[in-house]
Parts: sequence; structure tokens; C-alpha cells
Amino acid sequence: MVHITINGQELTVEPGMTVLQAAKQAGIDIPTLCHHPAISDIGACRMCLVEVAKQRALQPACTFPVTEGMEVQTESPKVVAARKFVLQLLFSERNHYCMYCQMSGDCELQALAYRYGLDHWIYDRPFEPMPVDGSRRYFLLDHNRCVLCRRCIRACEEIVANHTLGTRQRGSKTMISADLDVPFGKSTCVSCGTCLQVCPTGAVIDRKSAYRGRVSRGDVQSSKSVCVGCAVGCGVVVVHRAGHIVRIESDWDAEPSRGLLCVTGRFEQLEEVRPRLTKPLVRRNGTLVETDWDAAMEAAVVGFRKARTSGAIATGRATNETFRALARTFALTGTWGKPLPVLGYGKPGTLADLEGADAIVVAGADPAETHRVVAYRIRRALDHGARLFLVDGGGGEYLQPFATLSVPPAEAAKVVEVVADASSPVVIYGAGLQESALKALKALDGKATFIGLPAAANARGAEAEGVKSWNGTSAVDALYVLAGDDPAEPQELPQAGFLVVQSAYRSALTDRADVVLPSPAWAERSGHVTNLEGRTCAFEAAFPAPEGVPAEWQPLATLAERLGKA
Amino acid sequence: MGKVLVATDWLAACAGCHMSLLDLDERLVGLLEKIQITSSPITDLKHPPKEGVTVGILTGAVNNTSNEEVARQMRERCQVLIALGDCAVFGGIVTMRNFCSMREALHRAYVECETVVDGKVPASPELSRLLPTALAVNQVVKVDVHLPGCPPSADAIFHVLSELLAGRVPEVKGEYLKYD
Repeated sequence: MVHITINGQELTVEPGMTVLQAAKQAGIDIPTLCHHPAISDIGACRMCLVEVAKQRALQPACTFPVTEGMEVQTESPKVVAARKFVLQLLFSERNHYCMYCQMSGDCELQALAYRYGLDHWIYDRPFEPMPVDGSRRYFLLDHNRCVLCRRCIRACEEIVANHTLGTRQRGSKTMISADLDVPFGKSTCVSCGTCLQVCPTGAVIDRKSAYRGRVSRGDVQSSKSVCVGCAVGCGVVVVHRAGHIVRIESDWDAEPSRGLLCVTGRFEQLEEVRPRLTKPLVRRNGTLVETDWDAAMEAAVVGFRKARTSGAIATGRATNETFRALARTFALTGTWGKPLPVLGYGKPGTLADLEGADAIVVAGADPAETHRVVAYRIRRALDHGARLFLVDGGGGEYLQPFATLSVPPAEAAKVVEVVADASSPVVIYGAGLQESALKALKALDGKATFIGLPAAANARGAEAEGVKSWNGTSAVDALYVLAGDDPAEPQELPQAGFLVVQSAYRSALTDRADVVLPSPAWAERSGHVTNLEGRTCAFEAAFPAPEGVPAEWQPLATLAERLGKA
Repeated sequence: MGKVLVATDWLAACAGCHMSLLDLDERLVGLLEKIQITSSPITDLKHPPKEGVTVGILTGAVNNTSNEEVARQMRERCQVLIALGDCAVFGGIVTMRNFCSMREALHRAYVECETVVDGKVPASPELSRLLPTALAVNQVVKVDVHLPGCPPSADAIFHVLSELLAGRVPEVKGEYLKYD
């Protein structure tokens, strides 16, 4: 341990810590701008300058390591003067006029200027216009607001391992640049939005949530939730206002994503345009008409009573609670989406295994398309020296260029042979895993951990409640389809003479139903989902569903009761 | 002791800062027991008296030769000059024109503007001429007190005036310091 004093306070800290870390641990606040806890420190902005005894110059706390006997001053007159000077320099370039910036109120640069009482500027401004790169669909890059802290670059590199962002030119001419200076929209960017989330100023701007309310002023509320875009189950923070999602951010502290999120989780699910259903509908004389819950449930009960065979198919986005109600109400149940093959061998792994993996095999899966955060974690592992092996063209364009070996399923044994000398291999497989590959990969049993990527987001939760993929029965007398808020419609449904659809939105499916029951949308639900690792995550509704829309499991529970199955 | 003389004027401004001054509401009545407003753009007397005032308040950026003259006259005739609002302090929204050429800015405002029909850029010799760039007041004359804000709140204005009346140099920070 190392003994240091900060502002006269004696501290005993771990060797190797930075002054900033030691101060934070002791509850001493040092202002930062380019520092972000999720990425490495580079000491770019000089806001965290501190006075260290026996050091000739002020030192950046974020990169300066503690040493035995070190004496640090974090708010001495010299330090404060230096920080004010740094702020003056930051404001002397580009456009930092707050009154027409969407980040005003939530901007870290502005907060620092307030903290140090910057009531005027002492340097002339160059007023050199910088381009605004609006070539991306979900967010834009306004170089005028950029302070070159390079958080976006480090996030793109270290968190997502996508390496799209960098800088070009030097000194005051430095610009954030995508790939080899192509428009952001034509770059290798995957729209994960991590750069957007870490940007301290208004340089990376979310098109959708700009000017829709400030966090600091309490215009918007933040609620933690779990994304059900796929089976990874990323932890997210839903930023909402008056029952509407303003934006979705990743939750830095939540497993298994820890700050990762993909275009689906962050942006695509806000693109819903189908009309919302808030009242039950029943078909009378060929047309769907609004009715009350009691009449709608009665119509459903009558339909299911008459049926000799019945079943229920649900979206994989449903909660464990809903699947439990589904299994209780119907003997024949299923989720839509192709099932994962049963390996019959192999120790199940967690996504954390990828961190220490030295060999990663992707078989019958394209995580970059279906489970993107897994793909990002694979790329991160590759940055740390892991080798990548692809079986049957898995991996897609995103991973193919980085593969050490890519083989058709029949030659999976070749991969097994090479991976045999790895010390901690991980096998990732999907619904496309071929029989031959499945057999060959058995040779890695006991050595590798195996991670399945199920098509349905809550496949593991459904399975635990006894709901598996639909068994293929092609016709039933009466069918209950729980579509929920799934943006995708089920591709092949069994024929049914009587159709009940529970859905948040009006769709082609609800249009042909006999009874339509409104369902809550994602952010309006509470409950549990179980991710692909088997991790069960609880989440609360960010805001209530529209009046008259019950919990997702409620109509099923009512149906079970009335059918005498409760 | 007589009342403290205060003069205000606006340069390239939207009048919002003066509206904020009026937002002092009933506190103005109390203030007027201690100060006398000799001139302002919203009273009959527009110019600070030749004999001078104690406090001069300027809002708006220095955008043309007229603004420059008004700023210099105010500086000459007051002892303490307050730059009030983002435009006076930083140049504010007026500096949007600094990011393009003067021709582009004039064309956008007088010709291309969506609500203009057959517009043309005014060129009367009676009009003051635009400066090459819009400037903050402290780029033209010395400023003693900076009060940013778009506009600064009535509370912030009251704080600054009260501090001056109490004989202190006002410190603008905390809830009084806002850039928007």
C-alpha cells in the first residue's frame, strides 16, 4: 500500500492507482472532462490538473500514478487558476454558445464553466465554421461543439472494438474522423451509439431526443430496464417523459452488457409506427369492433371452449411471468423463431468467458446480425489476442475478415484440431448449427465453454416455464397469439378457425383476429426475463401502460380462470 | 445622499434582456428609491446624460458602427459598466453571422428568408455599417461586470444591482450564472 495526502487528508491506497482514483475513493472531487470511468485515461483536457509537491508542473490527476509520500492539492489557488485558464482555452475554439445547443443543462463543459464561475471569455474566437456530419440516420456529429476529448474514439475502440473513429490533422486543426475521413454514414460505424452516450458536449447529437428535455432540470426521468431486442438482455436506462421514451442509454453497471448496446436496443425500437391498441376488439358480422374487457374475454372463452384442439404461440419478448401464465392456460404452447439445437454436451458459458478467451469458435450463428453485443465482445476479445474460428460461414461480414480459419460444417474437425491447443476456448453456436459440426465440436467438451444464441429474446425464460419452440403442429381449432410489442410478425402460424391476438399494436395479424386484446409495450412492463446465459433479470415498468391496458400476463390469467384451468 | 444614476441601452439585442430587467416587477419600485434611471431604450430619454452616470448597462452585441458608438459613449459616461446578457458578454446569438461571410448573412436575412418576397439587401447611406464580425462588448470597451444569460434572470439582475448598491463588486456564480 502507498501513503499519500490529498488536501492534507492522509490516505492509504493501492499502488498503481492514479491520483484521480485515489481521490474518488476518498470522496474528494476532482473535476474531469476527457475522463470517463468506462474507458482508459489519456490526460487530454487538463481539467483535472492538481498540484503535486516536488513536481515542477501541475499534473493531470487522471493519468498521474500515486507514489509513497505524495502530497496533492486539488483546489489550491494555482490549480484553480490553471483550470480557469484551461476553460478559457476550451471556449476560445469552435462554437460553444449554449443558448442554441441541445445539450445545454446536461453539458459537462458548461457545468465546469459554471463551477469555476466563467462569466466572460478573455480570448478572441476564430469563428471558423466546422462541418456538421449528418450522414448517419440516428445521430449526427457536429464538429463545432467538439472539444477533442476523444471519449468517442476511445469508446469506439475500447468498448465496442469497432475502431471507426479517430482523428485527422494536428493541433487546433484536429478533427474527429470516421475511418479514413469518409462521411460518418459511409463508414464502418455500426450505429451502436456508444460515442453518443459518452460525448460530454453537444458534438454527437441524438436526432430523436435533441431538445426533448433535460436530465438536470428533471424534464425527463430515467428508469433501469432490460432490453428484449435479443437474448443478450443488455441492461439499459430508459429516459422518458410523460409516458414516452425519449431515448435509451446503456447501463454502465449492468451485466452482461456493461455499457454495450446495439442499434436495435438503442434506436430501432423507437421507430415503431404501428397504431397503438388500447381497447379490446371483437369480430362482429365480419368486422372488428371495440368492446370492453369483459365481453372480449367472454368471446375468447367461448371460442376456446368450442375448440377441440387449441394452442398458444408467443413472442420471445414475453416475460417469465407471461410464459408461466401461458403454460398454465394452454397445453400446447410455443414461441416463434427457430429453436437452438440441443448439444447434449458442453459446459454452458457466460459472455464474461469471452473476455479471457484465447480462441473463439462461431458455428451456425451470425452474432453481428442477431446478437450484436456478442459480436462486439468477440471483436474485443480479438483485440486482446484471441483467435477466431468460423464454422459454416458463421460470423458474417463483420467477423469474417478477422477469422484465423473459416470452414464449412463438414470440416469442423479442422477447427477442433487447431483449437485443441487453446487454453480457454469459447464456442458460440446458433440455430444454424449443422449436425456434422455439432458432432465434431463435441471434441471440445470439457475444454471449451458453450454459449447458445437463441432466436427468441427470452427463450431461456420460456423454456424454464415449459414453453419451447412451436412443435410444428400445422392446424388447431383455436389459437392464441401473444404478439406483445414484437416488431416482427410471426412468419408461419398454424391454421386456426378461431384466432385471439394479444398485441400492443395494430398489425396484419390483429386485422385477421377474431378477438384482439391490447398488450403493454416493452417499457410499460414489469417482470423477469432470462438471458442466453441463464441470468434472470428483474425489471420495472419505466412508466404505466395506457389506461385500460393490463399487465401482459393478466389476460392469460383471466382466460385460465374462466376456462377452469387456474 | 442622492439617488445612484443608472443608464441602460441596447446594441444588437432582441430586447429580451430589458424584458428581464422589467421582470424585477415590484422590486423595481424598491430599487427606484435608491436609483434613478436617467435613460433607456424603452423610455423617452435614450442617451446617458453628458454629466455621466454611476452605472451603465449594455445589452446586445456590437454588430455595427452605431452599436460601437453607443457602446463607446456609454463607457465614457459611466463609472461602472455592466455587460448584461449573452450577446453583450460573449457576442451571443448575433455571432451566428460570424460563421459565414457578411454577404451570405445579409442575403439569408433579406433575400432568401422564407417570409420575404422580392427582398433586397438595404443599402441606404443613412444606415450604420456592419462591422466585419459581431463582437462582445468587452472586445470594444472595458467592461467591469459581466452578467451572462439568455436572458439573465431578474433575480440575477437584482443581485448584481443590489451588490453594486451595497458597494461591493458583484460576483456572478451559482444560480445567477447561466449561459442560456
